[in-house]
Amino acid sequence: MIAVAGTGQAACDFDALVREHQSMVFSLAYHFLHDRAVAEEVAQEVFLSLHRNLGSIESAAHALFWLRQAAVRRAIDETRRRRRRPQVALEQVAEPAMTQPRGDPMLSDVLRRLIAALPEDPRAVMILRYQEDLDPPEIAELLAMPLATVKSHLHRSLGVLREKLARRGVGEP
Amino acid sequence: MKTVTRLLLGGVIATLLGAQQLQFNLDHLAPKASNVVDVQLSKDLLQFAANFLDGKDDPEEAQVKKLLSGITGIYVKSFQFKAEGVWSPADMDAIRKQLRTPQWARIVGVTSVGDGESAEVFVRSENQKMTGLAILVTQPKELTVVNIVGSVDLNSLSELGGHFGIPKVETPKK
Amino acid sequence: MDWLEQELKRALERKEPAPGFAGRVSAAARRRPMPRWIAVAASVVVLSGAAAGYRWYEGLRAKRQVMTAIRLAGEKLNRVQTRVMEVRQ
Repeated sequence: MIAVAGTGQAACDFDALVREHQSMVFSLAYHFLHDRAVAEEVAQEVFLSLHRNLGSIESAAHALFWLRQAAVRRAIDETRRRRRRPQVALEQVAEPAMTQPRGDPMLSDVLRRLIAALPEDPRAVMILRYQEDLDPPEIAELLAMPLATVKSHLHRSLGVLREKLARRGVGEP
Repeated sequence: MKTVTRLLLGGVIATLLGAQQLQFNLDHLAPKASNVVDVQLSKDLLQFAANFLDGKDDPEEAQVKKLLSGITGIYVKSFQFKAEGVWSPADMDAIRKQLRTPQWARIVGVTSVGDGESAEVFVRSENQKMTGLAILVTQPKELTVVNIVGSVDLNSLSELGGHFGIPKVETPKK
Repeated sequence: MDWLEQELKRALERKEPAPGFAGRVSAAARRRPMPRWIAVAASVVVLSGAAAGYRWYEGLRAKRQVMTAIRLAGEKLNRVQTRVMEVRQ
């Protein structure tokens, strides 16, 4: 059966939710896919899905949880559909091409590329941790992933990134 | 007498075929769940759906289309809950009881005491051919049962779950 | 948080979508979904064109269900295999 969100109040709530969370949803998709145009498409799909399910949203906190979860799932679906970033083992994530000083915007770009090249699960965990500032139990709940697995993904991903950057002279003084 | 025999035989065959499809009896959990996936696809619906899968330009859909060739039914119930304690072991016991027949064999079972996750894979075989698959996964806030009737390539199915380089899952040889 | 985590926070700061995104989403939401009365009407109209359209709609719905089921089954099977690997290690 198709649900139709029809009341004026629901429409107002929906518009407010879009305005409040568009940056979060778009950013989750963008950092996952590293493609602005595709990320906007994904973000729009997420909000349209929210519109269809508006009746089941119980609170502002529920809406935030729902949107984060839907954005990550939709981004993973899109990755698989387009095969833009072939799955690689964590250790094979490409190294940055040149040395970047810390705080340099180019280093940020390199880090975003490295993140976007991670396998899907570690990628989702890293983005939720450092974009959304979620702690591991919150990430575990959102991704329906065991807490130990979340921690393992974080630990291994950080280790690999450190190693890749250290080889290029970027690291702790 | 002949008519009675035919009816009885038909009943036995229907029972055997029906046993490949598990009875879930989990609908009571739906109202308590924050997210529900409920898929009931019989052979006719699968054949109908297969016509809409893009076997040329979409690699994932092509792989699914190939996977469907041996499948005659897909039944999935997946529930996510906001709190722990919504589902009980009794919900899963009724399903596990159906998997204790000689045709079903548990090929993998993993339990993690720390995070409360349990995962089991069962395969149904007849005359050395696979005729069904059941996957049971539970976490404190999630319960998922997948029942596939027919023959399915486990490695292809696993690849569609999104990861590579995973060891093969061995199916029992009878 | 160490230096890398600080840099990751900086790199993964939220970004804004293109201007007008919210308006486009709201406009799209008002155009979708197809009202229920159209789906019901399609099932009773005798004209072959309308019946074919409904069949196409139902076929896409069945396809979405297949993809959802297969992905979920694959994901769960994958999870089992990952846990087996973890235990073996």
